[in-house]
Amino acid sequence: MQLSERTEWTLLATPLVAFLLLSLGFPAIVNLVYSVSEISFATLRSPVLSGFGNFAAVLQDPDFWRANWFSLRFGLLTALLECGLGLFLAVFLAPLFKNRSWPLAILMMPMMVAPALMGLMYRLVLHEFAGPVPYYLWQWFGDSPSFLGPNSAFWTLIAVETLQWTPFAFLLFHMAYHAIPEHLREAAAIDGAGAFQRFRMIELPLMVPTLAVALLIRFIDGFRVFDNVYVLTGSGAGGATASLSIYIYEAFFKQGTIGKAVAASVLLFLASFAVLYGLNALARRKRK
Amino acid sequence: MRTAFKMAMRLLGSVFVGGLMLGGAQADVTVLGWPGGPEETALRAVADVYNARPDVAAENKVKLLFFNRDGFWDKLQADLAAGSNAFDINLLATYSIGRYAPFMEPVTLSDGAGELFGPAVLSTMQFDGKQYGVPTDLSLHFMYYRKDLIDALMSDDAAKARYAEISEKHLGKALQPKNPDDWTWDDFAATALYFTKSVNPDSPTRYGTVLQLKNLLFNIMVWQSIPRSYGGDWKDAQGNITIDSDAFRKGLELYKLLYDAGATPRDSLSYEFAEANAAFASGQVAAMLQWNAAATDLTDPQKSPTVAEVTKTMAPPAGPEGRKTHIHGLGLGLNKNAPNKEGAKAFLSWLSTKEAALDYARNGGAPALAPKAVAEIADKRPDLVQLGEYAGAYGYVMNGGASANALAIYELQAKEFTGYWSGQQDIDTALANVKKGMTDLLK
Repeated sequence: MQLSERTEWTLLATPLVAFLLLSLGFPAIVNLVYSVSEISFATLRSPVLSGFGNFAAVLQDPDFWRANWFSLRFGLLTALLECGLGLFLAVFLAPLFKNRSWPLAILMMPMMVAPALMGLMYRLVLHEFAGPVPYYLWQWFGDSPSFLGPNSAFWTLIAVETLQWTPFAFLLFHMAYHAIPEHLREAAAIDGAGAFQRFRMIELPLMVPTLAVALLIRFIDGFRVFDNVYVLTGSGAGGATASLSIYIYEAFFKQGTIGKAVAASVLLFLASFAVLYGLNALARRKRK
Repeated sequence: MRTAFKMAMRLLGSVFVGGLMLGGAQADVTVLGWPGGPEETALRAVADVYNARPDVAAENKVKLLFFNRDGFWDKLQADLAAGSNAFDINLLATYSIGRYAPFMEPVTLSDGAGELFGPAVLSTMQFDGKQYGVPTDLSLHFMYYRKDLIDALMSDDAAKARYAEISEKHLGKALQPKNPDDWTWDDFAATALYFTKSVNPDSPTRYGTVLQLKNLLFNIMVWQSIPRSYGGDWKDAQGNITIDSDAFRKGLELYKLLYDAGATPRDSLSYEFAEANAAFASGQVAAMLQWNAAATDLTDPQKSPTVAEVTKTMAPPAGPEGRKTHIHGLGLGLNKNAPNKEGAKAFLSWLSTKEAALDYARNGGAPALAPKAVAEIADKRPDLVQLGEYAGAYGYVMNGGASANALAIYELQAKEFTGYWSGQQDIDTALANVKKGMTDLLK
């Protein structure tokens, strides 16, 4: 029996759709119900619908906007730094990796460490009395800066995140750089283009799609940061290092304001969906 | 192909049935304990003693379950709210008892428990007048100080003059150094300033103290003994929130003064228990207010070789209302959805006997026992004598400190007060924000 293309497509897609509905659909519906309900840990199974009060509470909460601002700055800065450094390393170290790949494994190591462990590691490394960094600073200069003080914690967290995830960006750029056909470089060299001109006029334009993808992935990862920040500084003095994920976690578990936490997560979902939809539409228009 | 399919289905079926059988094998008593510290060691020891008893049936043997301390209370909250039956007995603490009580059942203790623990300690495991747990460990605070440094200060006239000069400049009054047994909070502050290199370049230590200022509820528990000794409480007898009283202002300003003067490490705003201990153990700190749990490590020459021999402890300094120390208990209680309730009740009842409590203490636990009971182990655990003495004389629980929202209140205070200490907001804003939040949380 010959099945129509439509039937075949339906048959093949059904398991995936069913899986998505089960794994994402149910929690999403529960979230939506909780976001418009009066809810506590004692009434998880019997929420009382209460309108959009939770959304109003979130939108009027200055800590919500502060957490958004932290996540946005953190996501943008780390994405730019990781991609900038990753691109530089991929191009600068290209001759080293041309015929041998083992040094790649060493560069990839920070990525293998769980972010929470990375946070713990830096908690030790930066401790004034137990960490090697302050120890040597005291030995050499008779002083050591405050790494996790109110004015420096943000930049320390940026540095920790950048050191861990630059290898990811580097890996993408390394692959993209080595995928550029060699004859293009040779032709440009014959035409008299120098190394920097070849990079600017040939290699970089060919790597732009990879650059866009890397920036997007790193921004998303930075924006939703939780583990290493939470382990290193928690939500910070006065909530100074609370990312949006930490804000939602603390509203849910620490303050027990489940409706408010879920409403914040629904708003985050809607904002993410709008951004991704916009980017997709932009990409479609460009393809045409 | 068909044979392979049949084999795969059989395998899948076996795994499924096996899983069901494992899920149903709940014959023992599963205890969810506090992991990774002396409490775990002590609980393991008493569980072995209990399991070896001839009157404990095979199906009532105790099995212990531990996971990580990080986020422990949040995970437990989620488990209990979801109606988990993965454990029969779970940990609970004085400050979280109101949150967990709806998912637990009251317990009956052994006949001698009242005399063994005393009413104050038993009350740390009570909510709404019912006993929800067996008190296993009591936590309070000691003032840890370097006896060698204080002795040197007390015997040097030039140092005394410098001390008076420093206290006059920073605290507005010329103080004389005192024996730590006579310290008020001002004496503590003056000593901390004197032993700070940036204030007194001749100081033998880099810092006079180490404050735990991370935005964390436990750090507020450490700090709040200052306002309490000045008469502070969360609520007055009429139920009015009194967090904006002079007592709380005094406590907040004292910490701010020490932080701004550099008497505590600059990263103190990210410090909690472990970081503060590491700072003190390095030998670069003269005195510190810390949990009693640190005493074992800080006085052990193997673990703290620089300071173990010269570290002494006393109760926190005094305010106008005398010395005060926050107390809270850890204990074990009964999960409402326990699969083996009878077995669990039997274990909890035994755990509240003198035999179990003394075994627990001998193996590193910190139960607060009545003087008669603690005398039996005083040679092995002299710290428990001090623990019982301080708890009885200076222990307090804030009015509302065991309410359903106590944890949320501590969290709120931690956020707002660290905002003040770090200079992000003024003291009036911090206190007003806390008062507003507490009014909602203590309704």
